Amino acid sequence: MRRRADVALAGLLLVAVAASLVVAVPGASTGEAFAALAGGGRPEVVTIVVGIRLPRLALALAVGAALALAGAALQALLANPLADPFLLGISGGGAAAATAAYALLPIAALGLIPAAAMAGAACATTVVWWMSRGPLGPSPTRMLLAGVAVNAATSALILTMLALAPSPRLAGALAITMGSFASASPDAVLWLLPYLLVPAVVLLHHGRDLGLLALGEESAAALGVELAAVRRTVFLAAAALCGGAVAFAGVIGFIGLVTPHLARLIWGMEPRRLFLRSALAGAALTALGDLLARRALAPVELPVGVVTAVLGVPFFVALLRRAP
Amino acid sequence: MTLLRGLGLHGGYGGRPVVRGVEIEVTEGRCVALLGPNGAGKTTLVRLLAGVLPAERGAVELLGRPLHAWRRREVAREVALVPQQVHFAFPLTVREVIEQGRAPHLGPWRPPGPEDHAAVAEAIARLDLAGLADAPVQRLSGGERQRVVLARALATRARVLLLDEPATALDLRHQLDLAATIGRLREEGVGAVVVVHDWNLALQIADELVVLQEGQVVAAGRPEETLRAELFSATFGVDVEILRGRDGRPVVVPRAASTAGA
Repeated sequence: MRRRADVALAGLLLVAVAASLVVAVPGASTGEAFAALAGGGRPEVVTIVVGIRLPRLALALAVGAALALAGAALQALLANPLADPFLLGISGGGAAAATAAYALLPIAALGLIPAAAMAGAACATTVVWWMSRGPLGPSPTRMLLAGVAVNAATSALILTMLALAPSPRLAGALAITMGSFASASPDAVLWLLPYLLVPAVVLLHHGRDLGLLALGEESAAALGVELAAVRRTVFLAAAALCGGAVAFAGVIGFIGLVTPHLARLIWGMEPRRLFLRSALAGAALTALGDLLARRALAPVELPVGVVTAVLGVPFFVALLRRAP
Repeated sequence: MTLLRGLGLHGGYGGRPVVRGVEIEVTEGRCVALLGPNGAGKTTLVRLLAGVLPAERGAVELLGRPLHAWRRREVAREVALVPQQVHFAFPLTVREVIEQGRAPHLGPWRPPGPEDHAAVAEAIARLDLAGLADAPVQRLSGGERQRVVLARALATRARVLLLDEPATALDLRHQLDLAATIGRLREEGVGAVVVVHDWNLALQIADELVVLQEGQVVAAGRPEETLRAELFSATFGVDVEILRGRDGRPVVVPRAASTAGA
């Protein structure tokens, strides 16, 4: 069953990759687009497929993997299947800090946007965790309410920053709040990689601890988890994943909620197996979501966050109805 | 041999003291029953002893060494805690939960080996869970979940067991089984602290009774020395009759809310 699911996942990734690159390349057949991948054919087709589509796809894959991994880790750490970087306001915190940096920093310092996004995401995570703590550890209800509060605060901050942004910066600042891969470049992908790979290694290292934490803090501490240290590390890793994703692609909701759930249904609870599969599935779903965002109302391009919300909101409602 | 010892323990939550100056000792092959009214500090004391709640004053010593000098994972190999409640937010199977008991022995990366599989299988058998091993734990009843968490603690093969109300949701047969299991573990040299509300269960399993009231020990010692009707009126505000069972063991029968005393 799991073996077959692994094959299906690999197939899904392959389909997502191929479709994102070759579907509906203007003025070229699918065959020509495939040929362009290998570097052959007309130069304008090569430019579209390799120069524009490939970095966009790579960014979508990396961001999808980052969000899914962050969601899976937060759900375990907070022992709450409803935890999601978007719903908890963590992406919002990253976006607020990134918009502020984009609107206010001098040109030379714009390289700091990912760091700012990560710091904003870390602050939001800390606030949510602090607000959601009850006498028996974090409570699911309080946590969602804390997310509502943080999201409200961050959107106010974002609107303020948009009002303050000088007009040449406005479009870029706005893009952070929309969620889109349109501005992808090979550089952006390379910049994002450390924000994805380092936290991924950290989270895999703490996989067993996170499996124990999924049953609550007291129970995990009794089984040898160094709570404070693990919590700090995992929060930072999740903040780096969300911050990196937000800095390069803006706010994209629900990937972090939906993907780990589907992965759990298929591959079970073992954290490391779950994390890897979640990341790959998140990558595939996000790439397909971006394809849909480009094609659904073509030639108008939707922000990819709209597509993930359309798919994610019913899922969230269903989960909420089922929650005890 | 003394396994675990609490010395002048004070502790609580957010500056509110719940346990105030408790001395307690867990020795090899002996079982301490921890009793007392609701809110007396039994759960807090157990948390302090397990080291999941740091003591505000006083110290816990594990094998003669203060708890803070141990790494958490080392403590978890020697001391297993069964909390009153474990929140099952995810659909783990019974076996997956019990396998978590081996985590302190494995560290972050080592995969489970034959000894780990044997410990898990033994714990499953001891708590009569073979038929449920592959069931999702969320579907189980309260008593079945309690047995699963207890099995997870046994799977660690720790020398000290701290059980916080392990019997509240158990049916009569599984209560008897629990008493028998604790008896066998005691013979194997395990030392245990068991929080119970049922005095008759306590008398069945314990070598020593410790009674807490408002965070302090108000009575402690061998059951036959500790068991006095006055203790019940003073501590619980209840009049009891202490009878003798056919095997000579005392049986506590509550009669009425006390008119005198507390």
